[in-house]
Amino acid sequence: MKLSVLLIKPPYGDIQAAEAVRHAMGAIGDEIDVTLLLVDDGVYLAKKGQDVAESGYTELGESVSDLIDMGCSVLVEKNSMREAGLDTEDIIENVKVVTGYEISETIKESDKTMIF
Amino acid sequence: MIVLIKNSPATSEGRRGLKIARDSSADIVLLQNGVYFAINEMLDGFCGTAYAVEEDLKMRGLADIKRGIKKIGWPELIDLMANEERVVGMF
Amino acid sequence: MAKTFTIFLTTSPYQSENTLTAVRIADSALAKGHRVNLIASGDGVYCFLKGQKAKGLPHAGDLFSELIKKGLKVYL
Repeated sequence: MKLSVLLIKPPYGDIQAAEAVRHAMGAIGDEIDVTLLLVDDGVYLAKKGQDVAESGYTELGESVSDLIDMGCSVLVEKNSMREAGLDTEDIIENVKVVTGYEISETIKESDKTMIF
Repeated sequence: MIVLIKNSPATSEGRRGLKIARDSSADIVLLQNGVYFAINEMLDGFCGTAYAVEEDLKMRGLADIKRGIKKIGWPELIDLMANEERVVGMF
Repeated sequence: MAKTFTIFLTTSPYQSENTLTAVRIADSALAKGHRVNLIASGDGVYCFLKGQKAKGLPHAGDLFSELIKKGLKVYL
């Protein structure tokens, strides 16, 4: 079973990014082959240097690294990244920068796609 | 006048907030996802003062942005709002 | 000079970041001696339900309870 988790929203401002991470982790726990796709404002999830300090939030940048360690592929769409004002060096290690076409192909090859 | 912007540059709310601030020569305060304006070219040539809430910048990995943005804590935001004739938002 | 801040909160506690922003503004304004009202409307009322169990994000029930002790006036 292949699952794509497509994130369109930025982290912290609303619950969507945390939900995408949570469901990706849950699916990996169930031995599902998960790819996390970050497009539009979703690319900010993979921004380096997030520091939640005393806010009470879970740091989602760390969760991205955890997902990769657990075997999840994390892909960032290049055009979205540029639109967001980010460069490759702003992105967390081992997150892959890909084209929009590759994002679409991944969705096409997945059994299910969850959108956040 | 101060315009508070909490939505990202990709949203109609965020863009509308910035436009209203520009048109009325207001200052802006960026908070929540609005802090992503700090790394967006839409803010180039903005004539007023752009403030951004430091806690919200830090959360998003933007603690060390250098552009002409004034980082403020929550207490400074309270002073800004208390001393301003009109506070609009949050967009 | 002490002023009155009135926060109009319409969002549910864990969907958006407004909970934390409202808490921070209320807390900082009270600390500076201002009066702070919070009007919860629509889904905002869910921030004030008893027995919330939140983890990994700011706990609305606990945070607003603390602020009420510090002088926050809440109207549902």
